[in-house]
Amino acid sequence: MAPVLEVEGLKKKYGSLEALKGISFKVEEGEIFGLIGPNGAGKTTTLRIISTLLTPSDGRVTFLGFDLKKNPEKFREKISYLPEEAGAYRNMKGIDYLEFMAKFYATDNNEAKKYVERAVAISGLGERLKDKAGTYSKGMTRKLLLARALMTKPALAILDEPTSGLDVINSLEVREMIKGFTREGVSVLLSSHNMLEVEFLSDRVALIDRGVILDSGTPQALKEKYQASNLEIVFRRAVQ
Amino acid sequence: MKNFSHLLIKEIKELLNKQLIISLVFILVIFNFIGNVTRTEMKKAMAKQKIAVLDQDRSEISRNIIGALNMARFIIEEKTGDKEKVVQEIRNSNLDLLVVIPAGFGQLASSFQPAEVETYTFLRGVSISGRTKTEIVKALLNSTNEYLSNEYLKKKIPDADPALLKAPIKNREFVVVKEKQAEGSSAVVIGALTAQNFILPVILMMIIMYSSQMVITAIAMEKQNKTLETLLTVPVSRGAIVMAKMLAAAVVGLVSAAIYMFGFRKAFDFTSMDDISKALGGVAPILKQLGLTINTQGYILFGISLFLTILCALALATILGVLAEDYRTAQSLSVPLVFIVMVPYFISLFADINTMSLPAKVLVLAIPFSHPFFAMQNIMFGHLNLLWLGIAYNFLFVVVMLWWTTRIFATDRVLTMKLKWRKKKVVL
Repeated sequence: MAPVLEVEGLKKKYGSLEALKGISFKVEEGEIFGLIGPNGAGKTTTLRIISTLLTPSDGRVTFLGFDLKKNPEKFREKISYLPEEAGAYRNMKGIDYLEFMAKFYATDNNEAKKYVERAVAISGLGERLKDKAGTYSKGMTRKLLLARALMTKPALAILDEPTSGLDVINSLEVREMIKGFTREGVSVLLSSHNMLEVEFLSDRVALIDRGVILDSGTPQALKEKYQASNLEIVFRRAVQ
Repeated sequence: MKNFSHLLIKEIKELLNKQLIISLVFILVIFNFIGNVTRTEMKKAMAKQKIAVLDQDRSEISRNIIGALNMARFIIEEKTGDKEKVVQEIRNSNLDLLVVIPAGFGQLASSFQPAEVETYTFLRGVSISGRTKTEIVKALLNSTNEYLSNEYLKKKIPDADPALLKAPIKNREFVVVKEKQAEGSSAVVIGALTAQNFILPVILMMIIMYSSQMVITAIAMEKQNKTLETLLTVPVSRGAIVMAKMLAAAVVGLVSAAIYMFGFRKAFDFTSMDDISKALGGVAPILKQLGLTINTQGYILFGISLFLTILCALALATILGVLAEDYRTAQSLSVPLVFIVMVPYFISLFADINTMSLPAKVLVLAIPFSHPFFAMQNIMFGHLNLLWLGIAYNFLFVVVMLWWTTRIFATDRVLTMKLKWRKKKVVL
């Protein structure tokens, strides 16, 4: 089976700073692929390039056979991106925000309605969706945004630090939401510096540090290779 | 197109928020208050007002003057006795004008010798009514002077016309505009044109300023609320995002400016409207004869000039909005734009662009906002080359700026361009 996403020799420079030094990886259909690494490793830059926010300095990204440089609009149609520090329009009600976003992806009002119904179910926010997003807690906003990202059943959901800043309960709920979603055939590319979280969620992971992928594989395979009990130790040994 | 209208509606809703509506209502309330206070003062000035008169002469002429004062909207409170005591008494009252006709005034006046009338104004502020009172008294005394001097001349030179003796040269005034000529006063023509167009620069300034601030704020708020990144990844072209923001800002800016101007006119219509209609009533045929009127084609040209200028302002403001990181920075960044708009505004009020030195003229016309400020004048005085040059310049400016803005939105720069004094940080 052809991978959903293929990244080959991806490079990104900000002036003299080389943020990505030629990374390569693939995401298969229906799998959760995790990028793990410390702050400043290049995770966000990678995700921003794939979601068409940044242009690569070099390398190739193909998604469902489309080239990023030639067809960025095809990426936008089938990819949902949840940035690490995302917000919703403060003066919009949660439900209106979902409707606003759904209309970009839907071909007609009925389809948009279906997307919204789906998002309502995913978010679990119930009656609070009738309140303005400006009144939401961080956890509620994150759930709303995650529901927005997943409601259209994208071919690839890109989630940057999906549980960033959330408390234990909210983090668990969000992780369950993500895990449940791949059962419907959606692929997920996520990043986190929380290696235990990635270990719990991901089918495969890539260890990234200073713009280079150090190693990749299933969490179990990596633990065996580095003779470690968890991915944190794996990462430390891979860096050494 | 569907996505564009969808975005446009969202942008308008975002801009037309509760805070803006409250501030617009507040502006209307403030203007209404100012208008009411000023109208009350004007009514006071126009109504019959009480003044004090001390007639120490009691001659026929002095009684005539008092009678005339009575006819000229004054309620006379006659005082008697010593002048110093009367002045002291009025100092402690709410009267603020005293006319003293000294003893012997009538005799001196009727024998055509210099006679004096004293007026005391008790200043308790600088209201319009206070000034109007003294002006009316002065006009009345001038009329009395005119009457007495005419009588004097008639007595001394019975066969002569006193008016001719006092002003032997009569001036016939003509105004020439290019090939057209009309009899009339240039001061009246200029006054009428100024009165007719005085509101226009204010409207222009408000529209440009409001629209620019709207678009800067709209982009800065997307950044501050962390919604821009998500918006840039939805399946809609970057051009549509930029145009929706600009068009929404233009619409809300125009509505805000219209409300502002409505309040402004409501507050100050008591002077401008009557004066303008009166002035235009007499001067309108002269303006028509001189070709100083605007036809449909003129209004269309002005509309094109204004539309392009608004686009210039919005494109510039969009770039400034990209530079802003949050609402506060956006407000600071809009300040230079406001000052640039004020340059043509003040020049249009106090100077003639056509008589300025070439470097100054080039400098002013290099500001894209300048052109509509001078468009009406250029249309009326037939400086159409300058007008078309302005339209072409603004068109070129808009094309370049829109291309640049769309480029910024289509690349990393929409996220990485920042006006920072500290070293730039990059999120990896």
